[in-house]
Amino acid sequence: MKEHEHHAQFREESIEDKELRSWKRKLIGAWLFTIPIAIFMFSDRLFGIEILPMDWMIPILLILGFPVVFIFGFSTIKSGLRGFYTFYFNMDSLIALGTVVAYLTGFFSYFGFVADYSGVSSMIMAIFLTGKYIESKAKGKASQEIKKLLELGAKKARVLRGKEEIEIEISEVKKGDILIVKPGEKIPTDGIVFRGESSVDESMVTGESLPVDKLKGDSVIGATINQDGILYVKAEKVGKETFLSHIIKLVEEAQGTKVPIQKVADKITGVFVPVILVIAVLSFANWWIFTGEISRALGVAIAVLVIACPCSLGLAVPISLMVGSGIGAKKGILIRKGEAIQTMKEVKIIVFDKTGTVTKGKPEVTDIYSKVKQNELLDIAGSLEKLSEHPIAKAIVEKASLKKYKKVTGFKVLRGRGVEGKISGKEIVIGNRTLMKERKINFKTFEDKISQYEYEGKTTMIVSQNKKIIGVIAVADAIKEDSIKALKILNSGGYRTVMITGDNERTAKAIAKQVGIKEVIANVLPEDKAKKVEDLQKSGFVAFVGDGINDAPALKQSNVGIAMGSGTDIAIEAGDLVLAKSSLMGVVQSIRLSKATFRKIKQNLFWAFAYNVIAIPVAIAGLLHPVIAEVAMALSSITVVTNANLLRRTEI
Amino acid sequence: MKKIKLSISGMHCGSCAGNIERALKKVSGIENVTVSAVTNKAFVEVDEKTSEEDMKKAVTRAGYKVVEIEEN
Repeated sequence: MKEHEHHAQFREESIEDKELRSWKRKLIGAWLFTIPIAIFMFSDRLFGIEILPMDWMIPILLILGFPVVFIFGFSTIKSGLRGFYTFYFNMDSLIALGTVVAYLTGFFSYFGFVADYSGVSSMIMAIFLTGKYIESKAKGKASQEIKKLLELGAKKARVLRGKEEIEIEISEVKKGDILIVKPGEKIPTDGIVFRGESSVDESMVTGESLPVDKLKGDSVIGATINQDGILYVKAEKVGKETFLSHIIKLVEEAQGTKVPIQKVADKITGVFVPVILVIAVLSFANWWIFTGEISRALGVAIAVLVIACPCSLGLAVPISLMVGSGIGAKKGILIRKGEAIQTMKEVKIIVFDKTGTVTKGKPEVTDIYSKVKQNELLDIAGSLEKLSEHPIAKAIVEKASLKKYKKVTGFKVLRGRGVEGKISGKEIVIGNRTLMKERKINFKTFEDKISQYEYEGKTTMIVSQNKKIIGVIAVADAIKEDSIKALKILNSGGYRTVMITGDNERTAKAIAKQVGIKEVIANVLPEDKAKKVEDLQKSGFVAFVGDGINDAPALKQSNVGIAMGSGTDIAIEAGDLVLAKSSLMGVVQSIRLSKATFRKIKQNLFWAFAYNVIAIPVAIAGLLHPVIAEVAMALSSITVVTNANLLRRTEI
Repeated sequence: MKKIKLSISGMHCGSCAGNIERALKKVSGIENVTVSAVTNKAFVEVDEKTSEEDMKKAVTRAGYKVVEIEEN
């Protein structure tokens, strides 16, 4: 299976490269014959210079034109004419019919009833091939970010076998292997730091620009780059299970998904070619009947055939979606369903799940109020709390980050209230109001501070020494640094912002106020979140932002589900949009990206429609020479692809 | 139901994706066809009865070629 995968990727690369090379070969060959044809034709018609005697002209054009239409244009002619018996028409059908008919006029002209268009057939084919080449190149550019993503994974890994370090292919890495990653190297696969410490650049996967510190026990993502220390990583996930593989799969699968606005374009593209064939025949008949000039009628019919461009219509949406997905992926924003970028425009209400989305999901010390020196307070509190396993204790220990802990005797955990113990003969009690009352410790002088912290939704730990209060430490599930900035942008963007949480009303309101969320729905059980989203949907389209792990139903219920999380802890399958970075600014960016991409889609559809709506009647009216018509057609699809590429200029 | 990824060559035009989609939808047991002319990939959900051969044939009939079939 591994090898299979490897081959698949290898081949994926070459389908496009091969096609590009083959277009190039064809176009060079075609022009080699077409340039002399053009010289012969135009020197006579435009300047009246006869390079060739008239009698020779047609046979020479036919001879020179043959390889252009039937050799260099072979695949186009074949795929196009095929449509006439399988009824799977594509744009080649139009070009094939146009060029073959034009070429044949060279022979018919001997019988004198039609002008010779054989030179024109070569020109149409050569321009068509050139257009295809330019279009393929632009398409390659459109997919460059996604290609980079496909190639992001590490190719080799250095693994510890026994005491030896050996280098192996990435596909040979097994779960549980200890991988050695030196500074500057890619981490081969998802794992856990087993030994060593370093900072890791995760920007290529999460879009987060700052390096992340990694210590023993931290998880690392495959394909991210180790910066400064040597890391020993225990491989946890390999092959298709890795985070990167999931991202790649998601992005690839998203490409074929439909954006609703595309439906009309798809319907038209489906019947486009047969309709144009009918129009071409009708134009021919009309012109012949009303002017009596069969040559003129043929010229018009050929122009109609080659100017009609289902390509630009068919490409307008997918090519924009691809560029949008690519620039999103670079920033850790993954578009999972094309539909989301259209729906995003209609969203009026953004609902945030609190834990892990607005907040870090882990308690942290937010405030310290102390009667003694802060260091002294943390020295005591840190040493005592070090012995407890409680999350709040851990937050205090982390804040203190002591190099040396004081010796504690008689340590005791007082469940639900706090801890106590003796440090250098002094009796230390750390805990909540209840514990202080129990011990008859007076905290009146601190009452203002304590109430303030509580009002702000924080858990307050009172620190006492020999029955006297020396300080207060407030702990809370801290707000992520950029949540406030993100909310400011969203609020000023006119969105109704709502936070949903299982917390009590007071804590929830405090956090919402701090971060700038306007409404709060508190005391909500996880299973009721979807119901609350449904209620909100009565007043408008709702986007739900959550970690996707326990709020998957709410993500699904909402109009646009945005799943976010840090590193590998995201439920990728849960959202319409997935943020690989744990930041609310990602929500702002994904809204900008969706809107910009959708704008591009609309522009492209407009141009593709407008082009056909204007160009076809002009051709029917007989105002366009077939060669000019072909140039216009080639330009129209190149325009669509190039315009999609311009999406890259948008700041998101 | 399993998900299959088809790599297809010869899709050099926007209307091609539609042709392949139409062709694959006719194969028995296939559901949820998405085709992208930009990535040259088709994703389909199939049941146990659907044969790879049938999918290949359908794509060939529409004028394109399946280069690779893999489970996704």
